[in-house]
Amino acid sequence: MGTMPATPGSRLNVDGLRPISELQIKAHYRASIVGYVIWLLVLAAAVWLALWQGWWWPWLVTVLPVVVVVQSLLLTPRRIRAIGYLDGEEDLTIARGIMFRSIETIPYGRIQSVTIGEGPIERGLGLANLSITTGADGAGTSLPGLPRAEAERLRALLTERSLALMAAL
Amino acid sequence: MAGEPVQGGPVPDGPRGLPAGHHRTHPLTPLLTGWKIVVGVMAVLTAQNAAQLAKEFTTGRLLFAIGALIVVMVVAVVLSALAWHKTSYAVDPSGVTLHSGILTKSRQFAPRSRIESVSIERPLLARLLGLAKVRVEIAGGGDDIDIQLVRSEVAEQLRHDILAVADETPSSTDLPTAGDGTGPELGTGPTVPAGQLRDMLHDGVTDGELIAEIPTERLIRALLRDVEFGMGVVMSAVGVTVAVIIAVVQDGFNFAVLIPLVPTLIALPKYILGRIEAGWGFVSRNTARGLRMRRGLANTRTDNIAAGRIQNIDLRRPLLWRSHGWTAAQVHVAGIDDSSPNGAQSVLPVGTREELALTFGHLFPPLGTSDDLATIEHLLTARAREIDGVRVTRRWHWIRRRTTVTVVLPGAVVRRNGVFTSRLQVVPRGRIQQLELADGPMKRRLGLLDLSVKVAGKTIALDALPQPDARELHTLLARDARTLRRYSERESWPRPRLAPGSAEAGQTPTQGAFGGGDRDGADEDLLGESVSGGNQ
Repeated sequence: MGTMPATPGSRLNVDGLRPISELQIKAHYRASIVGYVIWLLVLAAAVWLALWQGWWWPWLVTVLPVVVVVQSLLLTPRRIRAIGYLDGEEDLTIARGIMFRSIETIPYGRIQSVTIGEGPIERGLGLANLSITTGADGAGTSLPGLPRAEAERLRALLTERSLALMAAL
Repeated sequence: MAGEPVQGGPVPDGPRGLPAGHHRTHPLTPLLTGWKIVVGVMAVLTAQNAAQLAKEFTTGRLLFAIGALIVVMVVAVVLSALAWHKTSYAVDPSGVTLHSGILTKSRQFAPRSRIESVSIERPLLARLLGLAKVRVEIAGGGDDIDIQLVRSEVAEQLRHDILAVADETPSSTDLPTAGDGTGPELGTGPTVPAGQLRDMLHDGVTDGELIAEIPTERLIRALLRDVEFGMGVVMSAVGVTVAVIIAVVQDGFNFAVLIPLVPTLIALPKYILGRIEAGWGFVSRNTARGLRMRRGLANTRTDNIAAGRIQNIDLRRPLLWRSHGWTAAQVHVAGIDDSSPNGAQSVLPVGTREELALTFGHLFPPLGTSDDLATIEHLLTARAREIDGVRVTRRWHWIRRRTTVTVVLPGAVVRRNGVFTSRLQVVPRGRIQQLELADGPMKRRLGLLDLSVKVAGKTIALDALPQPDARELHTLLARDARTLRRYSERESWPRPRLAPGSAEAGQTPTQGAFGGGDRDGADEDLLGESVSGGNQ
């Protein structure tokens, strides 16, 4: 597994995917700092217990934080680079995943709303994320890590196209 | 207050303290709703401590308990009465408004373009008092508006008024022209004395072309022949018995033994009753506003489903129903969340082939085959291996490759599955909102892909398709999703063949599908579809 090229381009059923910004890797790391710290505290507590009390089982507990943090640190760049999108003639395609790959196809005509979001970290790096809802159930689809101008371009494109091609439920 | 005209305008005198046009619900409402709080409190208290209570029983405690109960009851009723006082509803040309709340006030508003359907429910107690609850279902999820409880006649009138309001085209910018606000009166026409008993038994669902009527005998026989239902009941009954025997053998007989079983003891009859309610006295008729259904034994309800708003339909035929050709049909409408067997979306609890043909023809756009009904029949009855379609061939999926098959018809995608009960999930190709193609390490090794087809409010999983087929299907359906049901081409949207006003419809090459009859409901022109507020 994991033998897929870690860049988008061609995935499952689409070609010509465009990658999102490389800066998203940095953004993702920064956003995860709090999580890392918590995991490291758990790790520290387990090690402390093991050393001071001389128990053996806290060593088992240390496995989890190590696995979580290490895989996040190592795999984030690959995961981010695997996200791609394609604003086609009549629909938007979003691809993600390396091991569990998926592509989501959203026809412009079915789009109900388009939202641009910018967290403080993203704003610092000049990034924005786009979330799109259709009539389908669930929380909608989001596309992170777009340069702000690109996000604006997509939003304008999606809104304009969704009006032009509007289809019913 | 019943026949408030929907044309609006200043209403002379509403009840005191209410905005113009607003009405209160029936004064008995607090008693009937407060009662539930009391039972709830009691159930929680006793269920948790019943064993202990039984052990330490004294008269003093009993009196104390009764006193406490009365206090709770009074508080509950007073609170409910306050809530009732603050609750009011109004129906006007722009939609339905419901004001409620004592401390936190809420003003719910359903714009007319988003009103999906109106149901009338009559829970047993309310029914005995001649009251009913009106539920306004709103498209796009969100909270439904419940107007409870009002007198039955008022409920009927409300249903009528609300549907009339909803039928006004949302495109018009201001108030609809006065005078034609109500449309043809179909649901509650004047009753002939001879038909009065029937009218009462059918809760007023007596007009319009009869689509399906389920005799009690068929319902009971169908339930007895439903393997899944039977297995469920038998398994839980056996489970309870075994649990009791084990407990008694271990600890000797004790009242406390039974306490943990109480939920099961309540749930089991409730489940059985629910299935009976779902089909008891079921009648469905074709009206100008779509399919109108009535069902229920103790609690009755009537529902409306507009023909053009069906997102998908699920058909189900248990093994032992095959000899009779009975089928259950459940549809999905965006905005109606209740998917229980006695909810509005179960449009045919157990129907014959003819009833299925009529229901299908009235609600669902044509499948585009030369004979839709024969196609459905074939898909339901033939062995999955003999059906021409996409399926897994890997030996790994040794059940699935024998039972599951995906078929693409000109008008819909159909997935058939089920070992003993054959199920068909039918998705009209024009309704697809979004598609997702996914895989995982295992699937990739087996050369399979999962395709999720998303319609409004529901996702149909066409999982484990062989890769080339999945890609092809994805390309095909993605094209459907982008091009079908465009507003600019609304004239050519496929419509249910038998639905009112569909005579000229259909770019799909189907005329004369369903040999089932040529009833085109010529007198009815108000098709829910033509006013559908699709992209709200």
